[in-house]
Amino acid sequence: MQKFMNNLSRFMAILGGIVLTALIILVCVSVLGRTLNSLLHSAPVVAVLGDFAKTLLDAGVGPILGDFELVEAGVAFAIFAFIPFCQITGGHATVDIFTSMLPLKVNRLLQMVIDIVFAGVLILIAMQLYEGMLSKMQYRETTFLLQFPVWWSYAASLVAAVVSAIVSVYIAIIRVGEFFGNRTILAIGGADH
Amino acid sequence: MTNLEIGMASFPVLLTLIFLRVPIGLAMFLVGLFGLYFTTGSFNMAFSRLKSETYSTFSSYSLSIIPMFLLMGHFATLGGMSQSLFKAAEAWLGHRKGGVAMSAVGACAGFGAICGSSLATAATMSQVALPELRRYGYAGGFSTATLAAGGTLGILIPPSVILVVYAILTEQNIAKLFLSAFVPGILAAIGYMITIAVYARIHPDRAGTARERMPYPERLRALRDVWPVLTVFLVVVGGIYLGVFTPTEGAAVGALGTGLIAIVNGGLNRHSFVESFMATARSTAMIFFIVLGAAFYNGFLALTQLPQSLSTYVAELGLSPWMVLTVILLLYLVFGAVMDSLSMILLTIPIFFPIISALDFGMTPEEVAIWFGILVLIVVEVGLITPPVGMNLFVINSMDRLTPMIETYKAVMYFVASDIIRVIILVLFPGITLFALRLLY
Repeated sequence: MQKFMNNLSRFMAILGGIVLTALIILVCVSVLGRTLNSLLHSAPVVAVLGDFAKTLLDAGVGPILGDFELVEAGVAFAIFAFIPFCQITGGHATVDIFTSMLPLKVNRLLQMVIDIVFAGVLILIAMQLYEGMLSKMQYRETTFLLQFPVWWSYAASLVAAVVSAIVSVYIAIIRVGEFFGNRTILAIGGADH
Repeated sequence: MTNLEIGMASFPVLLTLIFLRVPIGLAMFLVGLFGLYFTTGSFNMAFSRLKSETYSTFSSYSLSIIPMFLLMGHFATLGGMSQSLFKAAEAWLGHRKGGVAMSAVGACAGFGAICGSSLATAATMSQVALPELRRYGYAGGFSTATLAAGGTLGILIPPSVILVVYAILTEQNIAKLFLSAFVPGILAAIGYMITIAVYARIHPDRAGTARERMPYPERLRALRDVWPVLTVFLVVVGGIYLGVFTPTEGAAVGALGTGLIAIVNGGLNRHSFVESFMATARSTAMIFFIVLGAAFYNGFLALTQLPQSLSTYVAELGLSPWMVLTVILLLYLVFGAVMDSLSMILLTIPIFFPIISALDFGMTPEEVAIWFGILVLIVVEVGLITPPVGMNLFVINSMDRLTPMIETYKAVMYFVASDIIRVIILVLFPGITLFALRLLY
């Protein structure tokens, strides 16, 4: 089970990373296209290339239409997909100078309560995201330039949000086991950023 | 309870939760959620905000700069750029007294120019510089302190994740903030080098031996090896300043460029690619959860009208603006010693920024906003190297098991002093921070 959850979280993180990389390439292509486009419109280039400049422009050399809409949709998915890995490796920023003085048993109790609440919050977030998606479907909201339905991006994020909720419930169950069984199953890493 | 009282009561609750090791983002989220419940009488408003707020926070175009810059930093780490930066700095500075330590600071500054994170800069440069410092006989505590301080240049020199967040919170122009952060960042690097020179005079036995002086052809050759870093920095930062592209586009170009350099240098294969995704995933999720929690908490605070009331109250007290600024900066120094810098910015700026904006410093509102942003950036970074819990100190010390923490603590106080002197100078002379801005815009 632990192996499955670990692999699931890693898989989501890699998927998010791939989407992020794709967005980076997309933005770069768009910047390149825009730069070439304005170059091809400039007088010296037109003088040298003549009609070829126009041919290139007609062929569609220019910025990618609605690139920032794709960035917004993609980056939301990527961030939701990053959450499970952060949960399972305990990557969240915390202040532990005060709790480190407390006995282990108390710390386990704290960690159990925190992770149960965290799971609850992530479930709530996923549920409300689903509600949000339903209302976007109902009003048939589309993006401004590309005209694709907004609920598509919500749906993609929802998948990742549901995985986050599942992983965090699993972690909460582990913490309960740790508290009552008096042993460490899943170590907590420190924050790195 | 009036709404204002609920707002005020939320502070101690929030701090208690944070000190009970509740993740900071989660703590802000919870206090915001229940705060909205107490001010509106039901969860309806909180829940309906959640329907779109999580998505809109995560899908923000301006915030998408953060994962891109983080990925860029990880590519830079893997691409062997730290090595060539350190070699180049050593060729120019290594023969001075304390020169190898100065080189480490110089290389940190260079690495900071392509990496927006302090801990990443400190950790990366340590791998390269710590063995070298040891070989030339530098004392352990002095070496770790140097790298911890040098690491803060990662965030002081743009691009900087914290400045992006500040810009969004206060609705300022990211390009202008980056531009204004540049000179204070360079001053920080120079200040650290002076600190090293002073330390080497006071404790000559701990500051190692100098390297042999390098002839100029060799120095130039070492400089030639850092051109990829320079190119990426110039394209990204120059492009953003000149308005060729948006900050997000700049981050994308930088990430792609750094990734390609890393591939060419052989630092990036399938395994390390996955590793950089993992590291990016962890820090991105952490940062965005804090951003989400803060958005929720600040939404609640705005509803209680606490920030407005507080800023009116402070303005009517008739205190000197400089006095108020000093108190705020001191608060940051104290909190910075226990809390991570991003959470601190997200938590406090919505409250402190209106206060500062309502005061008259004899500058335009935009200049005050930018100047204050840079000052805050510096003081929260001081927290990263302030004993007992500065995060940079822990990161470096975990990489050098031979040096007891207390040795690092002793040596790092010199760098903290240098930071505090720099903050005082920048407070007294806002022109140092703002002249580039006044010149170019």
